[in-house]
Amino acid sequence: MTESEHLFIGKRTIRKDAIPKVTGTMKFSSDYYIPGMLVGRIYKSPYAFADVRHIDTSEAERMGAVVITPDDVPSKLFNPRLVSVFEVTYKDYQVLTKHPRYLGDAIAAVAAPTEEKAQRALEALRVEFDNIRKPILDPFEAMSPNAPQIHDRILKGDERIDVKNNVGCVLEYSEGDVDKALKNADLVVERRFKTNRRYHMQLEPKTALCIPHSDGSITIYSTTQTIHNTRILIGQIFDIPLSKINVVKVPIGGSFGSSIQINPVVPITVALCLKARKPVKITLTREEDIYDHVAYQMHFKIRAGVTKDGRLVAGELENIMDIGAHQIQAYPLLGTALGWFVSLYKWRNIRYVGKAVYTNKVPTCAFRGYGAPQVSWAVETVIDEIAEKLGMDPVDFRLMNYVGKGDVFWGQGPTVKSIIRSDGVPELMERGKKLIGWHRRRLPSEKTGRYRRGIGVGRSFHTSGAGGPISGEVIDYTGSILKVNEDGTIDYITALQDHGGGTLDAHVKIIAEELGVPPDLINLVWSDTQTTLYDVCTHASRGTYVGGGAAVQAAKQLKEKIFNYAIRVLEKAVSPDALRLGYDKELKQAVVYVVDNPNMKITLKDLATLAWQRNWGTIATTVTYRSKAAPPSFTVYFVEVEVDTYTGKVRPVKVIGGADVGTVINPDFAAGQLHGGFAQGWGMTVLEDTPYLENGELMNRGFITDYKIVTAQDMPKLEDFQVIFAHTYEPTGPHGAKGLGEAALNSVAGAVANAIYNAIGVRFYELPITPEKVLEALKRREGGE
Amino acid sequence: MVEAVKLSRHNLFNTHIIPVNFKYFAPKTLNEALELLDKYGKEAKILAGGTDLLVKMKMRLVEPKYIINIKGIRELNFIKDEGNQVRIGALTRWRQLEKSELIKNFFPSLYDAVKVMGGTQIRNMATVGGNLCNASPAADSAPPLMVLNAKLVLASKKGEREIPITQFFKGPGKTVMEPDELLKEITIPKPEEGSGSAFIKVARTSMDLAKISAATALKVEDRKIVMVRIAIGSAAPTPVRTPKTEEALIGQPFRPSIIREKVKLVVNEISPIDDVRSTAFYRKEVSKIIVEDALLISYERASRR
Repeated sequence: MTESEHLFIGKRTIRKDAIPKVTGTMKFSSDYYIPGMLVGRIYKSPYAFADVRHIDTSEAERMGAVVITPDDVPSKLFNPRLVSVFEVTYKDYQVLTKHPRYLGDAIAAVAAPTEEKAQRALEALRVEFDNIRKPILDPFEAMSPNAPQIHDRILKGDERIDVKNNVGCVLEYSEGDVDKALKNADLVVERRFKTNRRYHMQLEPKTALCIPHSDGSITIYSTTQTIHNTRILIGQIFDIPLSKINVVKVPIGGSFGSSIQINPVVPITVALCLKARKPVKITLTREEDIYDHVAYQMHFKIRAGVTKDGRLVAGELENIMDIGAHQIQAYPLLGTALGWFVSLYKWRNIRYVGKAVYTNKVPTCAFRGYGAPQVSWAVETVIDEIAEKLGMDPVDFRLMNYVGKGDVFWGQGPTVKSIIRSDGVPELMERGKKLIGWHRRRLPSEKTGRYRRGIGVGRSFHTSGAGGPISGEVIDYTGSILKVNEDGTIDYITALQDHGGGTLDAHVKIIAEELGVPPDLINLVWSDTQTTLYDVCTHASRGTYVGGGAAVQAAKQLKEKIFNYAIRVLEKAVSPDALRLGYDKELKQAVVYVVDNPNMKITLKDLATLAWQRNWGTIATTVTYRSKAAPPSFTVYFVEVEVDTYTGKVRPVKVIGGADVGTVINPDFAAGQLHGGFAQGWGMTVLEDTPYLENGELMNRGFITDYKIVTAQDMPKLEDFQVIFAHTYEPTGPHGAKGLGEAALNSVAGAVANAIYNAIGVRFYELPITPEKVLEALKRREGGE
Repeated sequence: MVEAVKLSRHNLFNTHIIPVNFKYFAPKTLNEALELLDKYGKEAKILAGGTDLLVKMKMRLVEPKYIINIKGIRELNFIKDEGNQVRIGALTRWRQLEKSELIKNFFPSLYDAVKVMGGTQIRNMATVGGNLCNASPAADSAPPLMVLNAKLVLASKKGEREIPITQFFKGPGKTVMEPDELLKEITIPKPEEGSGSAFIKVARTSMDLAKISAATALKVEDRKIVMVRIAIGSAAPTPVRTPKTEEALIGQPFRPSIIREKVKLVVNEISPIDDVRSTAFYRKEVSKIIVEDALLISYERASRR
């Protein structure tokens, strides 16, 4: 189907939540107030590595506060993320701990009628510590034989395992003979890389509200990407039947992956609520949120071998991940990091060692791209270096060696494999080159003067979900309910969360396209766990692809039911096969008609009314859906930067953001993902980090005064930022669509770093590439080093 | 192995509220405010725009017993042209400076600073007096006011005194003001004919505190520098003037090569540190660059007038 054949897909529309968001009337979790509600506060460990000897709660309780300590809550170990299957779920979290492993670990909590009273009660807690140790802040130091153990015993599924050398989990893999291939290679490049520890800076700090009911059940409102996993985890921790827990889907103020796991604030709030028997709400301050989650920090070593005619023959990746104090999804990430690596280029012989190492730092979790921005930056740097050493054009070298159409694709790790069926990389490369003016690109050595410009390219991809024909280590399915209301409008019910990117608007368009019902007559229901089917989580860029797939299937089933009713009133038709459903442009509504007899028709509105008045029953359908693939969405950025060699400042001059997302459902939203992805990627490349003081405290002490993200003013002018979409169609996707959210970020850092190199001739192997590092490198070079 | 009972500042922070107990006053006149300061000055904090003070209170860096909110004192909010000088009331908001033709035309270095101080929301709240009294080494208003030879009028119940801004700062967060004193106004002489000024700030993003900043004022006659003033922010415990560099430049021909050579001296007049925002090395290197850049802009502006 070409774009012009679509009724609604690809057209510009106003998103359903636009007006409530712009006018500030949309309610997020923290906006809810329940009469009689208590406000909770969490006592966070002031030490990065210590033991709690005693907690004196008497003063706080005298003040009227409800207090919980580790003795009041279940002590079982859990993993706050339930996306992986039991056997590979590593558990080291507790609701509250007596053994704080980072500065910020939750030790106790209080609840009181107001924020101020709760704060005073918190300040009245007296906690005595023992065994205060010097925090381990470096993963290599953590792995050394004499390093103290941050965790002794954790659980893998239900099995107890001993942690050795602070290595939380390991994944190794090999294919072919890397040593031999490297020995025979004409050129071997070996590089070490270190990525930064970025805070998500999602708009909404984490919130949880728990309401108890007289029948023993509870209702939870929280910041989450998954209402069903929230329910299951709370059920597991507190031994409550799932039928007694309802988690409500509330708009989320962004997440960038930081609420795939059930945030620690949720079980703490539930525990306070269960003790108080009153509604309790905890909203983290921004400062607490910065101590709650951060991106995975990775130390890579890459060895790559290539023949002199430009054929890659071997790729080796060592991935040491500094995961901080707890595991969230470190193990699956060891697999995806490998997946990103092997699915970027055809290494032919592969070896991988991945280790997740505990340190006394803020726990790490997924951050848009789930390791792909980090891996892609390192690989795209190496690929650029190899092309340069071989005297090949970096674009040509990439096109020669990348994993594309017809190749086996891993994405989400060794258990999620499929064959690539749509691939827009050649088109994006070709168009991108023209638009950026690739022919203008000169060698760094030809550049002089204070301000030097450089052009770079970066390529990457992300999967669309984590589905596949075989059930692997990752859970990935969703559910969808469609019901035709008595006036022919439609209620669409799904547990799938929209992070703010407009995912559910895409579903609405997909349903509209299928049924001919205009999007404004389709209601997006704000639902909850008790009225929806299971959805694993909105992550892995699966919202449009997997959720949209479920929507298509539900719409198709609904169509059959509509036809079964319509046949009762459309006389000439003897079988539903004779019926069609489409949008009537004059009536501006969906119409059922007899094939080749467009005048024999009934509007869906009339049909629904008839079904109601004549007691035929509701037209409704339910679908539970797993996608059979997780195809890659490719992105290519061409970036021109300008480096002020006197101050080290780097400025984006021109950006071409290219994406292969198959059919574009919402062009403005999709373009927005590329703009946002670039901004976030720019911050990753040149700006963001959370360094530590020796005592395990963040240098910024949690304050965003000293955690800057880029602003619109730091981006190129709109006319210098061009978004292009490849003309592809993904056969497994809803109306040919694939995911985008993460792919939009994944290739940015590589492109920017390569552009910086092209400007000044210096490669950087540690992110962020701050003006300080640029200037120091230039001064070193001036000094003849 | 240590034992400790500790609350830690992380448990004291609560930016949802102002977790400090204080008594609140909102005087309507300068005299009322001075009376209150006379009585409570040592344990009081002045609240003007609140963009610095409230953050510090939320961080529990200051826990004043008394808050004197002077926002309602109309007589301290003005920009007045008095012929040879301009007077700016301490309660004048940054947004008012930004909208003022007087500031834009006569004090381009101050106007440069106004444009890069915070965002619109902050500029709508923050006052010029607050920026100075907060005494941050990174205060954006300080370097331009220093090269513009601004004077500050400090008032107390006992009377008023006027001091040059260069004598105002004592250290990070510290000024020469007595506990009973209030910054009343800033007076800036109109720049001499044929002079120009500029301010440059280097920061992590376009909305940030300065890693390093510099302001310059310059006058060139017969191709020779006859007046030059340089001030640098975020490079010492206070914003500083660099008299030795200025001295070395006076009388020199205004030639880029000479400027470049002489501005290297500023490094000896600052004492930057490594912190979360930048490094001492970077600040030293870049101080020379932005002073040179600011001098070139000042020169251009002078010749345009």
